[in-house]
Amino acid sequence: MMIATLVQGKELLQTVIASVVAGVGVTFAFSVAIWGIGESSELSRNGRPLGAAIAAIAASVALTCVAAALVGGIIVMTSK
Amino acid sequence: MSSDIILVIVVGTALAFDFTNGFHDTANVVATSISTGAARPQVAIGFAALLNFVGAFISISVAATVAKDVVDAEVITTTIVFAGLIGAIAWNLITWWFALPSSSSHALIGGVVGSTVAAVGFDGVLAEGLVGKVLIPAVVAPILAFLVAGIAIGISYRVVGRQRPGIVSRGYRYGQILSGGLLALAHGTNDAQKTMGIITLALIANGRLGVNADPPTWVIVSAAAAIALGTYSGGWRIIKTTGTRIIKMDPAQGFSAQGAGAAVILASTHFGFPLSTTHVINGGVMGAGAAKRLSAVRWGVAGNIFVAWLLTLPAAAAIGALTYGFTRIFGTGALGPVLVTLMALSLIVAAFARRAQRGAPVTAAGG
Repeated sequence: MMIATLVQGKELLQTVIASVVAGVGVTFAFSVAIWGIGESSELSRNGRPLGAAIAAIAASVALTCVAAALVGGIIVMTSK
Repeated sequence: MSSDIILVIVVGTALAFDFTNGFHDTANVVATSISTGAARPQVAIGFAALLNFVGAFISISVAATVAKDVVDAEVITTTIVFAGLIGAIAWNLITWWFALPSSSSHALIGGVVGSTVAAVGFDGVLAEGLVGKVLIPAVVAPILAFLVAGIAIGISYRVVGRQRPGIVSRGYRYGQILSGGLLALAHGTNDAQKTMGIITLALIANGRLGVNADPPTWVIVSAAAAIALGTYSGGWRIIKTTGTRIIKMDPAQGFSAQGAGAAVILASTHFGFPLSTTHVINGGVMGAGAAKRLSAVRWGVAGNIFVAWLLTLPAAAAIGALTYGFTRIFGTGALGPVLVTLMALSLIVAAFARRAQRGAPVTAAGG
């Protein structure tokens, strides 16, 4: 039997893509959230409310993305 | 009557395997959270046990692969399944003894393949399923987790590099509660299904289910409960290896390793690949360490783990084949499996007694 017929190439490729996008994407989004929180508190202390607000919004958006990714992942799992 | 006795023994042995799977693989789920201080040991393990239980109900794709795609269900007998389980349990306990995080999944598949070959020859093994759904993902998954964790930690350090260390550590520790939870869910989803698949295979062999049947509800519930109980019991020896001996982790590395592990396991489970959660999380831990500094990874420990990985499939297969051969000395009835069960229980009790005599077990407090 040819090795090509044994390997479930399409499913494996989809697994690789999904893993990279989810694993790297969620870590990136969470890191942006931590950056946003840290930056917001720093700018706020330095009397720069506009910058602090923008950083806080970036943190909120990033955390929303993390939450959406988690919920999306679980929905994909349960819908199989 | 005899086949029903064997079926009862197989179900009991499969649930015992599931318990050892949770016990053995607790390290995969909680080691990084504990070693970075993101969660206290008992809290992390309780949380992981609960999510392992919940995760077991999410999908049955992997169970279907184990029951239908690795060996030919039409030639399998309950004794073959029993011998395969003994091969898996024996290898799990041997690697636990040496504190090596080997794969319970590959032990299970190796055990069943070995006993099948001993019973009916290579014709009973479905090469397409074994290679395409087990062996190739077995090689790809830890490399993928290594790369994903490595890329993720590189990006993390760039994004948060200028922030104060206190806020960064605290943030990733909170994040680890999330990523550890997701990893526990993924672990329960992928690993509990292997036991469901094996019990389903035994029920098919016994004639209680049709060849293409899905696992009954009682099988799903009992497999979920067994893995959760095993997880709650904890395997502190392996937690220490995964959590501190491969690399010394900071919370960002722990988060990246857990996130990468969860992503790879959930994606693989979705496509029905019964991969090793142990391989994946250890690949993630090594990737998170190597991306920071290659010398941060204790390659000697990683090498021992790698050797255990390589040995798992053939060793469990050999034990499974020998167990099947031994049971056949006593004919096709229940006597062989009953004797093997009694011998296995005696060995397990002796091993735990010897471990207790040699000193206090490695616990959360004892490190």
